[in-house]
Amino acid sequence: MKQKREKINKYIIVSIISVCLGIFAWWLVTDGLEIFRSNVLPSPTKVLRTFGKKWVETKPDGATLLQHLGASLQVALGGYFIGALIGIPLGIFMAWNDKIDMLVRPVFDLVRTVPGIAWTSVMVTLVGIGFMSKALVIFISAMVAMVINSYSGIKQTKTVHLWVGQTFGASNWELLTKIAIPSALPMIFTGLDVALGASWTTLVAAELLASTRGLGFMIQQARGISRLDIVIVGMIVIAITGSILSAIIRKIGEHVVKGARLQ
Amino acid sequence: MKKVYEKYKRIYWGVLGIFIFICIWYAATKFTGFGNIMPDPITVFGGFFRSFVKPIGTKTMALHILISLSRVLVPYVIGGVLGVIVGVLMGWYKLADAILMPYIQMIRPIPPIAWIPLSIIWFGFDESSKYFLIFLACFFTIAVTTYNGVHSVDDTLVRAARMLGANDRQLFTTIVLPTTVPYIFSGLQVALGSAWATIVAAEMIRSSEGVGWLIVRGQDVGNMEQIMIGIVAIALTGLLITTLMRVLENKLCAWTVRGK
Repeated sequence: MKQKREKINKYIIVSIISVCLGIFAWWLVTDGLEIFRSNVLPSPTKVLRTFGKKWVETKPDGATLLQHLGASLQVALGGYFIGALIGIPLGIFMAWNDKIDMLVRPVFDLVRTVPGIAWTSVMVTLVGIGFMSKALVIFISAMVAMVINSYSGIKQTKTVHLWVGQTFGASNWELLTKIAIPSALPMIFTGLDVALGASWTTLVAAELLASTRGLGFMIQQARGISRLDIVIVGMIVIAITGSILSAIIRKIGEHVVKGARLQ
Repeated sequence: MKKVYEKYKRIYWGVLGIFIFICIWYAATKFTGFGNIMPDPITVFGGFFRSFVKPIGTKTMALHILISLSRVLVPYVIGGVLGVIVGVLMGWYKLADAILMPYIQMIRPIPPIAWIPLSIIWFGFDESSKYFLIFLACFFTIAVTTYNGVHSVDDTLVRAARMLGANDRQLFTTIVLPTTVPYIFSGLQVALGSAWATIVAAEMIRSSEGVGWLIVRGQDVGNMEQIMIGIVAIALTGLLITTLMRVLENKLCAWTVRGK
């Protein structure tokens, strides 16, 4: 056991050395030897300094990092929650009712092949640039992911379990709420996680395209004036926020779905 | 009669569903104010087919789709090959895992689309910036699924083969590879979907041709019909390439039944 732990520790040290070497190489080609200028690749120290400063500074894009982050989160989570609220029941309903399934499934399969971001143009034309158009685009991406996952969750219910329920005289409603939905819960939570990822990605794309605030807007503006340090800061914040949101959903999932392992 | 119904009921209900959908769309555009901004389905589909002979911008629809597909194909192949190699290396050698995994963990959470500003500065506005984006969208997904595939190899099988005197190459080709290939295919499938979404986004942000350009151009001039035609093209092409990929997978991985 002790030997095994030492072995694991050895690899962690290799990982740490690897990351340190990577950052050193980054520093070397920028600040160290000045092969790349900061408008092509900013140095790690500059990115770090910008990251610290951007929390209080509104230059050059008119808002602090926190304001951009807040604006992005507001849109992403707004669209996401409505998408989940409609997507989960829709997926369950589609999977449970055979006729509805056969009727709606082909239409749904056609709609879901369109990447969420492609709806941006439609929404911008319909309701104009702003909160509403972005929230609608995110709503569509989140809802599609939610429907697919809760649908296949319900479809994976073991027929034997349903038979047992029927033998004991459970009504259709009881079969659904007592057997099918609980066994679909892990898949529903997978869906919540996937939908969150989709919402966040779509949001960034929508903000790059048409926006006046938010992280995507920030990096697009910074690109226009070649402030790559801000671009990289923005990308880091996007990545970290996405990871944190996904971790929260997974934690909730583990808490709610006791005894089941999430994929 | 009942038998025939049972056999074809999926098709029957499916066609009915699509028909109802198109009817609602048609009615909404004809009888409500919705029609002022939204063209009816006949105009859209008619326009879609017409665009194959009558060019939008400077090119016909077939050319726009081919341009977008070619932007996906080259980096997809490169990203796929490199992804599989890196994934196998990381899965098989602990040292490679320890060196490369932290980078993959750090870079993967960044959506490929968020690289667009950087890619424009590094590679300019030409094709190479789009290749870079698609490569990012494919490489990490495929590397990680391959890595998971190698890790899912049954340890007992490996030890049994070792005991029977298999060398490293035999071990790899007869045990590791057959276990990993279904994972690689699921990675390829996911990567193809996200590559297609990424190229649409990239073309919408900066491009002068391709399906993404079609819709964003339609938005700029307020031409809803062109936007909808572009969306139909994106949906049908996306459906076509993922179906092709699935057929290929079923042909090549016939020995394994992956959870569908």
